[in-house]
Amino acid sequence: MKAIAWALRGLAGLTMASALSAGAAGLDTTGAVKMAPPTPQRMYLVDPAFNHMIDGRLHIVDGDSERYLGVVSTGYSASVALSPERREIYVATTYYARLNHGERTDVVDIHDAETLSWKGEIVIPTRHAQAMAARNLLQTSADGRLLFVQNATPATSVTVVDLQSRKVLAEVQTPGCWSVYPSPTTRGRFSAMCGNGSMLTVSLDDAGKVLSRKQSAPFFDPDQDPVFTNFDRIDGRFVFVSYHGKVHELDLSGEEARAQPPWSLLSAAEVKKAWRPGGYQLLAIHEGSKRLFVGMHDKGEEGTHKNPAKEIWAFDLASHKRLERIPGHQAGVLTVSRGEAPRLYALEVEKNRIVQLDVSGPKARFLRTMKTIGETPIQLELQ
Amino acid sequence: MGFIANWLDRWSERSSRGVARRSSRRSALTRIGKLMVGSAVALPVLPFDRTGQAFAAEATKRKQAKDDTACDYWRYCAQDGYLCSCCGGTVSTCPPGTEPSKVAWVGTCRNPEDGKDYLISYNDCCGKTACGRCMCNTSQGERPGYRLGLHNDVNWCMANDSSVFHCTTALIVGLPEGSS
Repeated sequence: MKAIAWALRGLAGLTMASALSAGAAGLDTTGAVKMAPPTPQRMYLVDPAFNHMIDGRLHIVDGDSERYLGVVSTGYSASVALSPERREIYVATTYYARLNHGERTDVVDIHDAETLSWKGEIVIPTRHAQAMAARNLLQTSADGRLLFVQNATPATSVTVVDLQSRKVLAEVQTPGCWSVYPSPTTRGRFSAMCGNGSMLTVSLDDAGKVLSRKQSAPFFDPDQDPVFTNFDRIDGRFVFVSYHGKVHELDLSGEEARAQPPWSLLSAAEVKKAWRPGGYQLLAIHEGSKRLFVGMHDKGEEGTHKNPAKEIWAFDLASHKRLERIPGHQAGVLTVSRGEAPRLYALEVEKNRIVQLDVSGPKARFLRTMKTIGETPIQLELQ
Repeated sequence: MGFIANWLDRWSERSSRGVARRSSRRSALTRIGKLMVGSAVALPVLPFDRTGQAFAAEATKRKQAKDDTACDYWRYCAQDGYLCSCCGGTVSTCPPGTEPSKVAWVGTCRNPEDGKDYLISYNDCCGKTACGRCMCNTSQGERPGYRLGLHNDVNWCMANDSSVFHCTTALIVGLPEGSS
């Protein structure tokens, strides 16, 4: 009886809502909000929710108004990537039939970035790397057609997914190597960083058959100065930093990776004070102004490579000159918005606090500390 | 022994989450060459790191050997996860109803009581949702995924029937030379 009464009330609401003028508190109709068109400050905050990891989330937030726009469910220990035009969101993740046990299924979930609705899934081998979310673990090809998924069993390999046919195209073994760095020019090509300090580049044909595997000459010494696997890009080059503050720029467009001579973030005096890069997503590049931002801490030693930023240093990627030392806001994750009027976002991982800095001028300007979003976010991408 | 054997056979490793860096310990690093594995199995080529020896003395000062529910307990020098000793288990055993991980990552930690370096295997306990207690994140000797056996930003329950991460133990699997 009660149910029928509720249903009748609902029906009445539907028919009467349009008759009520705005201003007066009237009856509501329900439905789902349609997202406004994105701005450059739309945030995609990857939150593995460490305290209940089977229920990870991706928070979508407007960085201008701080309005929480919606969530994407990301399952257990997911990697998240956006399509190049930001129309789709890809989530490589694991589901168990009984939440924490039962049959394991790994999928790439596809979500519409404009409606946040689930569009479908591609079942992938149950090997996707259940790792701390990071952009080097899941990437699309430059044209957005393929998706490269890092695997670990702990043997390492890469699942290559065709997003158009929604099928697994290939699985490529990458022993001793880690990360997926897609070629900026060639669809079926990716590179991975290897334990001997080299870069492996694999080229596939349209059917997913391996055409070539090329190991570059070592470009760093993993014993003396390991290179972080996180990255950002400029003009088609991949930019990495090392534990001791060297910058490595690589051209990954061809069959074999080509490294440019490394350069240092540090003066001799700064080396003495043991300034070092640290954090997770510890560097960010603004392509338009060719600036590199890196989270840095002093008194570095073995084991401090994930320490939060005491300062954020800005460099000109053309001249390698340091432009500015910015307060670090204890950031462990950095990202900068694209296009004009760039804004730097600095996430303090431990306290889950995001600071926005206006970096459109010659000096960074503090904008605001945002209200806390989610629980344990660890990766931030922007529109 | 079962999973230690597995650990020897397979390339190891560990668990994701890395947040909350309560007390960090940078401690003793390593000379695995001088270590012997308990049970007289000689270790095959192991991933290890020598760069931290300079800090070993200082690191020893910052460690303690009394409270294994605190992040500065010496065995946790490369820990990343919830301490099983806070979750119903102990420093070396899993809470009831969970299962030790078949693979693990390793660290080398200096025991402040004898000043010697021990090889520590960080085995996760698997099969239940995250414990959520006593999160510790230290990264002494931790390396990126291309040195996977030393990487702690990946889930070391990955090879278990249920790869759902619950907490992390810290097992001594290598004793200083001369001990056995």
